[in-house]
Amino acid sequence: MTAMEIDTEKNIQRKHSTYQSLDKTFDIQNEIYRGQQYSQIYFARLHTMRTLLYSLVTHWKPHVPVCTVLGLEEGKECIIVGTLYKHMQLKPCVLDEYSKERSAVPLVKPHNFMHPDDHLVLEDESGRVKLGGTVLSPSTYVTGGVIALHGKETTAGDFLVLDVFEAGLAPQIVPQLKSREDKYVVFISGVSVGSSTSNPLQFQLLVDHITGHLGDEQEQGIAAEIVHVVFAGNSVEIPLGLLNGQNLASKDQSRVSEAVQVLDILLSQIAVGVSVDIMPGSNDPANFALPQQPLNRCLFPGSRTFNTFNSCTNPHCFELDGVRFLGTSGQNIDDLKKYSEARDELEFMERTLKWRHLAPTAPNTLGCYPFTDRDPFLIESCPHVYFVGNQDKYGTRILEGSEGQMVRLISIPKFCNTGLAVVLNLRNLECHTLSFGAQPSTLKTFNDA
Amino acid sequence: MATASSNIKGFYRQKKKESGIRKPTSTKSDKSSLLHAATLGSDFTPPSALVSHGSPDLKDDYDKNEDVLRQFDMNSAYGPCLGMSRLARWERAQRLGLNPPKEIEGLLKGTKVRSECLWDGCI
Repeated sequence: MTAMEIDTEKNIQRKHSTYQSLDKTFDIQNEIYRGQQYSQIYFARLHTMRTLLYSLVTHWKPHVPVCTVLGLEEGKECIIVGTLYKHMQLKPCVLDEYSKERSAVPLVKPHNFMHPDDHLVLEDESGRVKLGGTVLSPSTYVTGGVIALHGKETTAGDFLVLDVFEAGLAPQIVPQLKSREDKYVVFISGVSVGSSTSNPLQFQLLVDHITGHLGDEQEQGIAAEIVHVVFAGNSVEIPLGLLNGQNLASKDQSRVSEAVQVLDILLSQIAVGVSVDIMPGSNDPANFALPQQPLNRCLFPGSRTFNTFNSCTNPHCFELDGVRFLGTSGQNIDDLKKYSEARDELEFMERTLKWRHLAPTAPNTLGCYPFTDRDPFLIESCPHVYFVGNQDKYGTRILEGSEGQMVRLISIPKFCNTGLAVVLNLRNLECHTLSFGAQPSTLKTFNDA
Repeated sequence: MATASSNIKGFYRQKKKESGIRKPTSTKSDKSSLLHAATLGSDFTPPSALVSHGSPDLKDDYDKNEDVLRQFDMNSAYGPCLGMSRLARWERAQRLGLNPPKEIEGLLKGTKVRSECLWDGCI
């Protein structure tokens, strides 16, 4: 009697890549709050950007003198460098609550606070000057960016802008794309486990695809080329009705933690086989102000046992096989949408790269930690991949810089609404989407006409 | 209240301590503007009432070292001083390439001086 032989299963090995986290600058563990105000971070930002711009404007307009705002002389052409401030009459102001007269304009307009009368002001330590002329369009700019302007002071005391100079894309380290093979990075954002709009089956399908539990050998082979997974914020949604400051009944307590427990189970299914980064978003149980600190590992008792599991900051910066990634969970772009306008999310992203600042509206309208010695949102090295999560739709394109930099911009849509995840090929930085649908089949009835 | 008016000078003592920011030299002596005091420490000349004349008052609550440190605090080139310790601000200035005077570092690390800026505890 011969022993039955079990068909040996062919093992498909997942590809490997080297991962390095560069989140140290976003860590606030060593920061001590000593009562400082935001003037410190604005000073760090202005000084760093101004030093850079002073070196760049000599090539832009070599014969025009550079001066400070207070050193402006009427009629004399010069270049000034400073922080922009956009005066917006519709911007909600806490003092509006105390105004005696109720104007016809509602107190808070949810979507966009722009108005045709908005004007820009340039400010440095010596003073500020109102910007005039038609070259600078207030709808494109926001408070907090640092730029250089060529122009002259008018009799009215304004600064007539003749030309604008932005820092442009930061220098980029050429990636040594060592591998000639396809390796994929999967981006998902806005999974919103626990929300009424999220479909648990859709997320389970995604997890099963990544871990190779779906499909035949060919599909498993494709899944084996996924080397990294990034969750770009809003992975859970805790029912807001429960978080109203009241003591929770024991049955409500379990409801609060349910969503995170489900997320932990699913993350651990992924972490078994592939390295996964999870970033906090605006709805996640993390701190509010940027840079958001990593989600506490106690929330993930299952996943944290794997060394492939990384709880990361928001913004998040890392290197994979020498390719530099930089991204956020969306708050920076969402804030730009409220105070300026552009064709699409990708154009907002392009502006942040050209201004070399991830979140120029922080701390003005975007919560931010009051750093004293640095501004961690300044982009010193241009990434190869720049991603933003929790957007309304998927979008991607390549941005080229003046010095040969190439950046893949990715706008990651909310998974709970679209069922889309984004996949990037490390070999050539090409992007495509993975679509997961779990529609119940519709029952068709035939009516007699 | 005729008696009060005659004693008004004694009632409200006008003794002003030798405080205020003094600069060793000033080019624009009368064009001083108090509004710029916080941002352009190097151009500010306080009114003469605040500058001590004659022999220095030895019972000052601060000395030469503190005066030098206050000048450092008020110098806007190194950024705002409020909310940071003086040494942290000096180190930030150093790191940003502003070349702050080495003697300030020496004073802050060596001698017994106030580690916080002049506005600390007042604002």
